[in-house]
Amino acid sequence: MKSRMLINVEPSKCTGCRMCEMACSLIHTGQCSPSLARINVVKNEEQGINIPILCMQCSDAPCITACPKEALYQDPDSGWVLIKEDLCIGCKLCHMACPVGAFRFPKETKKVVKCDLCGGDPNCVKFCEPGALQFTAEVNFHQRKSLNILSAFELKFDNEKAVKHNPTPEGIRI
Amino acid sequence: MYGWAGQRAVIDVTEKKIIIEETDPRGIELFLGGRGLNSYTLYQMVKPDIDPLGPDNPLIFGVGPVNGTLIPGSGRMTVTAVSPLTVVANGTKPCFGDANIGGFFGPEMKYAGFDQLIFIGQSEEPIYIFINDGQVEIKDAKHLWGLDTWETEKTIKKELKDNNVQVVSIGPAGENLVRTAAIMHHISRAAAKCGLGTVMGSKKIKAVAVRGTGGVKVKHPEELEKIVAEAISILQNDPSSVTYSRVGTSSLLAAHQKAGRLATRNYQNSQFEHWEDISSEALQKYWKRPAACFACPLHCAHYYEINEGEFAGTVGEGPEYVTLASFGSKIGNRNLESILYLNNLCNKLGLDTLNTGSSIAWAMECWQKGIIGPEDTDGLNLEWGNYREVITLINRIARREGEFASLLAEGAYFAAKKVGKGSELLVNHVKGQDPGLSDPRTAQAWGLGYAVASRGGCHLRALPSSETFFSPEEAVEMFGYEEAVEPLGIKGKGRLIKWSEEQRAIADSLEVCKFIVRTGLIYAKYEAMFFNAVTGQDMTPEEVIITGERIIAIERAFNVRQGLTKEDDTLSHRFLNVPISEGPAKGRVNNLKPMLEEYYEARGWDLKTGYQSKSKLVELKLEWVAEELEKLGKVVE
Ligand code: SF4
Ligand code: SF4
Repeated sequence: MKSRMLINVEPSKCTGCRMCEMACSLIHTGQCSPSLARINVVKNEEQGINIPILCMQCSDAPCITACPKEALYQDPDSGWVLIKEDLCIGCKLCHMACPVGAFRFPKETKKVVKCDLCGGDPNCVKFCEPGALQFTAEVNFHQRKSLNILSAFELKFDNEKAVKHNPTPEGIRI
Repeated sequence: MYGWAGQRAVIDVTEKKIIIEETDPRGIELFLGGRGLNSYTLYQMVKPDIDPLGPDNPLIFGVGPVNGTLIPGSGRMTVTAVSPLTVVANGTKPCFGDANIGGFFGPEMKYAGFDQLIFIGQSEEPIYIFINDGQVEIKDAKHLWGLDTWETEKTIKKELKDNNVQVVSIGPAGENLVRTAAIMHHISRAAAKCGLGTVMGSKKIKAVAVRGTGGVKVKHPEELEKIVAEAISILQNDPSSVTYSRVGTSSLLAAHQKAGRLATRNYQNSQFEHWEDISSEALQKYWKRPAACFACPLHCAHYYEINEGEFAGTVGEGPEYVTLASFGSKIGNRNLESILYLNNLCNKLGLDTLNTGSSIAWAMECWQKGIIGPEDTDGLNLEWGNYREVITLINRIARREGEFASLLAEGAYFAAKKVGKGSELLVNHVKGQDPGLSDPRTAQAWGLGYAVASRGGCHLRALPSSETFFSPEEAVEMFGYEEAVEPLGIKGKGRLIKWSEEQRAIADSLEVCKFIVRTGLIYAKYEAMFFNAVTGQDMTPEEVIITGERIIAIERAFNVRQGLTKEDDTLSHRFLNVPISEGPAKGRVNNLKPMLEEYYEARGWDLKTGYQSKSKLVELKLEWVAEELEKLGKVVE
C-alpha cells in the first residue's frame, strides 16, 4: 500500500491546552465540547504529562472486525478507517474493541462518531500551536509512535522548541 | 442559547438547599458574564454592613460567554465576594473583592451547565460540592479537612473515579481563616487576591468539584475559526507574546530590575543586587517543559524540577514574576531553589504568594528597624534572605501556630495596626493589599492604576504597561497627550488608565486571559469579534468599552456604598513620600494627584469626594444604582 497521511502525535511537545478538542468539536458539531471531540488529552497535572489520544488508523483495525453491521470500513484510497453512519446501530462494540477508545456518542443521533481526519485537513493539527500534532505521511509509523509516547515521560526543557513549533510561519491556514 | 450556559445555581450551605435558576438576564445584557456579572450579583446581594467572614457574604464563581471555546485563553473564571483582606473608608469597612483563576475549572463548569455558582451561608461541618452535569450535590469533607490542595484534588478525583473532574480547593490556610488564603486549582493555578480562600474557609467549603459533558454552542463556527487563526498568528508574531511563551512573566524580573522598579527588601530598594540569581535565565536549568491553561497557545507556564541539594525532589509549576519577587528580591533572598520550594509550599497550603510575601517582607523590615525582635517572633530570626526561617514561618502562618504566625496570618495591613510603633508606615499597600511589585515611584501610571483598582492594590485592573505599546500619534489620538506613552510622563495617564481598565474589565467578563488580549490583541475590536462570533450578537468595539465602563461603575458604586471616598484612592506612605533610592528614577516619588484628577474627570467622578455622577450612571443604564446612592447622599449631579 502506498504511504498514508496520518496524524503523528508527539506528546512531549503537548502543553495540555486542549485546543485540539475545541477545534475538533467545533468543526464537527458547531459546539465546543470535549465530550464530543474525537481527540482527547489525557493529563497528569502533577507531572505535567499530556498525551493526546485519538484514532490511530490501525491498518488491521479491530473496530472494523467488531462491527456487526459493516458500518466501519477502511477507505481504499486514503487507507483511513471511516464510518458509514446510516449503517451504525449505536451498539458501541467498536468502542470496546478499540485499543484507545476512540469513539464518541453524540446524544442526539445515538450513532458513534470517530476521527475522520476532517477529510484530509485535520482541524486539530491546525490549531495545535506547539506542533504536538502533525499531519504527515506514514513512515515507520508504529515504531515512531511508541518512541513518541515514551518521550512524554522524558523531562527535558528546550527553550527554543518551547515556542512556535508549528511549522506554518505564515500562520494557520483555514 | 449561544455562548452562555443559561443557568446559575444558588447553593445555601447552611440549609443545604440548592436553587437552580435562569442566569440573571439583566446581568448578562449589561455585564456579559464572569467578573462583570459577578460584580453586579454582589452589588445586588450584599448590604453595606456585611461581615466578609459571616454567612451573608456570597462567594460567587462566574464564567463568561466565550469561556470553554476555541478562543485563545478562554479558560478563566472569576471568584467574587466581599474581601476579608482589602478595606475602604480609611480601613474601617471591607472592600469589594475578586480574583481570577486560570486552568480548566471555568470551562468544565460551563460544560456542566452553569454560568454562575453562588455559595451562601455557612456549613457547620466541612463539606465539598460536586457539580455534575446540571446536578449539585453537597458532600461530606471531614476526611479532606487538613489536607493540602494537591492531596485534596487527588483524593476527590479518585473518590469520584474520574480524572476529568476539575477541582478547586482551599488548603490549611483557608481552613484556618488566614486572610491571605487563596483558592487553588491543579498544582499552581490560584484565585489569589483579596483573601477569597478565607471566605471559602469561613463557609467550611473545602472544595468544589465539577464535571460536565455538555458544550458551548457557537453561532458562527467557521467565522470563529478564522478569527482564532488570525489571533494565533498575531500572538506568534508579537515579540511580547513570544517572550511570555518562552519564559512567562519571569521575564519581568530583568525588565523591572533594569527600569529600577523591582520591589526589593519591602520596597526599600528598587533594584536587587542578586537579581541574576533569580532571573528567567537562572530558571532555565530547572524548567522541564511548557504548560498551558485551557485553549491557550501562549503556554506561559513551565514545569520545574530540582534534582539535587537542599530542595531535591521539588516538582512544580511556575513561578510567576510576583512569586519570584515576593520570595526573592522583596525578602532579600537570592536562593532560587528556595523560591521554587516556597512556591509549591504556598500552593499546597493555599496561600497567596503576593500577600503572604508582603506580610513576611513587612515583618523583616520591622526586624531590621528593631520594631520587633526574637521575643516577638516565637524565636525566628527574620534577617533579610533567611529563607529557612521563612519556610518555617509560612508553615506556621497557614496553621496559625503561635502568636507571631497568627499575627501575620492577618496580613501585613492588619498586623501593623496591632503592632503599631511606626510599623504601619512600612506596609506597602493600597486598600490593604500589596499592589503587585512594580514600584510606582518609577512606574508613575502604575501608581494610578493601583490607587483606583476596585479590589484594592492590584496590577491587573488596568494595563499601565500599554504606555509602551502605542506611538506618540496614537497617544495623542487616544489619550490626548504624547506624554501618555512616556513612562515618566503624567499627562494623559488618567485617560490611559481609564481606557485600559475598561479593556481589562471586558477580558475578565468574557473570561479570556488578560495575557492574550495584552499586546497585539489589545484593541477592543478583538474582544468584540470573539464575543460576536460565539454569541451571534453584534457588539461594536465602542460598546465593548462602554460595557467595560459600566463594570467599573458598579464596582465603584459597591465600594462607595461601603464607605469609600477620595481619601481611599491613594498609595501608602513610602510610594508617595520617600524618594526612590536608586535606578533611572532615583529621587522620585509617585506624583499621584494630577493623574488622579485627570482620571476622575475622564470618568465623570467628583473631584472633591470621588463620588460618581448621577447622569453618568444613568447614561450607563445603571438608574437603580444612581437612585440607591442618591438616597445615601453618595452621588453628585
Ligand atoms: S477507531 Fe480504534 S480500532 Fe478503529 S482504527 Fe481507530 S484506533 Fe484502530
Ligand atoms: S492542541 Fe496540541 S498542545 Fe494543545 S492539547 Fe492538543 S495536542 Fe496538546
